[in-house]
Amino acid sequence: MIVAPELGGIGSLAAAYLERQAWYHAVVGHEGGEDVALLSAEVLRPGSPGLARLVLGRGGSRFQLLVGSRPPAEAAEVLGSREAALLGQLTVAGATVLAYDALADDELCVELLVHVTGGSQRASMVRRVSTLVSHASLVFDERLFMKCYRVLEPGARPEVEVMLRLDEVGFNAMLAPVAHWREDGYDLALVREFQPSALEGRLLAFTSLRDLLAHACAPDDSQPVERAPSEAARARADPDAETAAAGGDLAAEMRRLGSTTARLHLALAEVFGDVPATRETFAAAVGDETGRVERELAGLRDDAAGRVVRLHGDYHLRRVMRSEAGWLVAGFGDDPLNGTDAAGSSLTGRRGSPLEDIADMCASLKMVAREALAQRAPEEAETATHLADAWIRRNETAFLDGYVGTDGASRLLPDDPALVGLLLAGFGRERMLRYEATSSEA
Amino acid sequence: MTVDERPAPPEASATDGRLPAWRPLEDDPHWYERAVFYELLPRGFYDSNRDGVGDLRGIVEKLDYLAWLGIDCIWLLPFYPSPLRDGGYDVADYWSVAPDCGTVEDAAVLVEQAHRRGIRVIADLVINHTSDQHPWFVESRSSRDNPKADWYVWGDDDQRWSDVRVIFCDAEPSNWTFDPVRQQFYWHRFFHHQPDLNYENPDVREAILSVVRFWLDLGLDGFRLDAAAYLYQKDGTSGENLPETHDFLRQMRAEIDRDYPNRVLLAEVNQWPADVVDYFGDGDECHMCFHFPLMPRMFMAVRREQRFPITEILAQTPSLPAGCQWGIFLRNHDELTLEMVTDEERDYMYAEYARDPRMRRNLGIRRRLAPLVENDRGVAELLHALLLSLPGSPVLYYGDELLMGDNIYLGDRDGVRTPMQWTPDRNGGFSRADFAQLVLPPLMDPVYCYQAVNVEAGLRDQSSFLHWLQRMLAVRRQHPIFATGGIEVLPADNPSVLAYVRTSPDGDERAVLCVSNLSRFAQAAEISLARWRDTVPVELIGRAQFPRIDEDAYHVTLGPHGFYWLELEVRR
Repeated sequence: MIVAPELGGIGSLAAAYLERQAWYHAVVGHEGGEDVALLSAEVLRPGSPGLARLVLGRGGSRFQLLVGSRPPAEAAEVLGSREAALLGQLTVAGATVLAYDALADDELCVELLVHVTGGSQRASMVRRVSTLVSHASLVFDERLFMKCYRVLEPGARPEVEVMLRLDEVGFNAMLAPVAHWREDGYDLALVREFQPSALEGRLLAFTSLRDLLAHACAPDDSQPVERAPSEAARARADPDAETAAAGGDLAAEMRRLGSTTARLHLALAEVFGDVPATRETFAAAVGDETGRVERELAGLRDDAAGRVVRLHGDYHLRRVMRSEAGWLVAGFGDDPLNGTDAAGSSLTGRRGSPLEDIADMCASLKMVAREALAQRAPEEAETATHLADAWIRRNETAFLDGYVGTDGASRLLPDDPALVGLLLAGFGRERMLRYEATSSEA
Repeated sequence: MTVDERPAPPEASATDGRLPAWRPLEDDPHWYERAVFYELLPRGFYDSNRDGVGDLRGIVEKLDYLAWLGIDCIWLLPFYPSPLRDGGYDVADYWSVAPDCGTVEDAAVLVEQAHRRGIRVIADLVINHTSDQHPWFVESRSSRDNPKADWYVWGDDDQRWSDVRVIFCDAEPSNWTFDPVRQQFYWHRFFHHQPDLNYENPDVREAILSVVRFWLDLGLDGFRLDAAAYLYQKDGTSGENLPETHDFLRQMRAEIDRDYPNRVLLAEVNQWPADVVDYFGDGDECHMCFHFPLMPRMFMAVRREQRFPITEILAQTPSLPAGCQWGIFLRNHDELTLEMVTDEERDYMYAEYARDPRMRRNLGIRRRLAPLVENDRGVAELLHALLLSLPGSPVLYYGDELLMGDNIYLGDRDGVRTPMQWTPDRNGGFSRADFAQLVLPPLMDPVYCYQAVNVEAGLRDQSSFLHWLQRMLAVRRQHPIFATGGIEVLPADNPSVLAYVRTSPDGDERAVLCVSNLSRFAQAAEISLARWRDTVPVELIGRAQFPRIDEDAYHVTLGPHGFYWLELEVRR
């Protein structure tokens, strides 16, 4: 164990602090057991305020704790109402200081940013976004996002690795990594760009369909004069045209998202390699009642089946964000705008046909449609359902057009467009069945 | 001057140009950074001599109305003698006024009378080309060795610069046209009847500078430079934005700075902001340039009911050198590509818009503001609220303050150039000539007809769009932060809500928060306002206080197409 001499006594304080943290118990459980051990302590900033990095261990788990210290009165002022961040009292060089979770101290957060970025970045404001099991998230000056890992895992974290590798090959449709802190084979922190005005794709999609339904489902208030047919009448007559003409039409955005998705798959192929797809690649898409997918696949030549690439693996409208710079792909386990825990979210390193990610996105459109339809009155159901179906068709088509229209993307998919449609439908059916099963279990 | 101290509205039909001045012209070299411009068509504004054509004296008679409205500068569309084959942008004489518009003396009176009311006057100046009926060209084409033989760009064949695009590709097969008199080809970037001047010839440069001096001596406050990007040609280039063009514009600016204080050069360069910014130089070229891509994106944002069309272009807009300003507008005398409201056109805008500055003529839709928004007052107000609060000096188009309509059956761009509608009287109060004499027929359709939509009616009705706009211009004038402040787009969790803060140019804490609902439906949003914690927003028009900002996310609700301008007053 390496403990800087001035940090004597910190181990027990830190262990007690961990015991008070929900994220710690989410990993080790609530059962008693072996004690938490201080594995290392490193002073990042001596003096006052002081900043140190502790690594603690219990069983096979390792935890990172960044500890700040200040004279008691100063510490009380800095922490304010964040009393829960307090570790306890220490004596350092004959003086009494209070030790606390450094992420509760704005000044030390900035100090940490400077440390992680090797001095290339500074900030004047810090905002705490969320506290998840695996990491704490900080936003600096609304332009940088730092993920500071609490639970340390040996080796490269898949999300960090994927992000850095994609960045290396020039894939720019993501929040670009700015700095990466790794020591002793552990990822400790990752700093990325932050796009505060980026919006979750689901929100855009939902707004689009919600407004379309609100516009076109208005009651048909017949008037005793000759007049143009109402929106509702027009919608019933030609839902496709109505959808295309609607104000909040999403198709252009979906076309661009399709292109971004193709660029993602091409970059993943470049980084992690790709191999020819085979009939087995599409096994999950088989299973329709008519057996048509299976029959079509039987005639598929291997050299016409597209490629198998590393997939995003959890690709839906909550994992993409629209920003001023276009669409950004998130959900590499590090999505600052998504409150869900990253631990089980993404990148399992799964490989497959890019059609799987495409089918996930199409299924996501259907989910949004269900959500929007649920908000309409029962008497509007028929018109609304027709419109929602047209909206899904239009946006799926746009998404796929954007994908296949991207340079080099067509080689990733089977050559035969009709087969692509069948396989997408097959994967989509499988996704919806899985969703139904999950929903009913829930 | 506060809103209440402004003069009562003038009678729409009255005024003879002898009313007392009420707002002296300020000695301010940066006036254009805070100005609201008003673009008007002299032939379509007011006919003072009953010949059926609007004229400069007619504008003089309506200056009190413009002063009441609260504009700062009139931009006159071309009034020079011209065969009018391109709306006057085919100038046949730089030193006169077209007889149907008046005389040079009338121009002097207009400038003087405008200045008495605190209003400045700039005029279109076409420097890239002349009409083929201009005496310079008549002489130049007469032989290969006359004194003006090299005033235009001549060639023995039509092969040189063959890669340079043809801007009016629908009408012109080539940038070269054969002249049977001189037996040579001449170069023209626009119509074949508009030969390009040869700026390699120092006599041409001097002649154009003398034109500039002539009108500035007369008192004009500056120029809107038409087609400023094409002055030079060079092998192996697109013939656009060449260094030599910038050199000449800098030379013009230097002359103006030396001899004519408080004047402005406003360039028409229909390109992406990152390219247009070169025309500001280091603050030593043009004072202003139009921000072309912003206009269609304001319409797109409202049509798409989401903010990204606007925030994207703001993100791509570079900051300007000190003393420079964008000119921004909703509509003008030309068309701009507005078919972007369909997907294809939106994508088209992304990819193609910058490549063809004059494409709007071929592809644009010929509508005024009101018909474009289906006469929706709420949308018109929202668009003006954006125009008046985004960075840049707003340029209004005559008649849009009334929500005037258009006449798409008039062809070309005449549909948006119908006479100003002053009163419900004959010819809309524009002219007392016979109807058949009018330069263009006033609108008589059941929605936009002059009997209903006119200045007199707008003045009488306190809730009219005209009064609303006059009020908004006054509010904007009271808050120079709209003109010269910085802008920071704020995160909002609702794609239909656009929020930005105009920040103080002096670096202090003053700020105005602008929040707009781009949707037809009521919306709520949470806006990230962490920096302004503990301030109390005050609505600028009614001065109502809003709840103190005490959290990172500030909650606002907006009605359909609603907007707020909130002053962030620090009350710690």
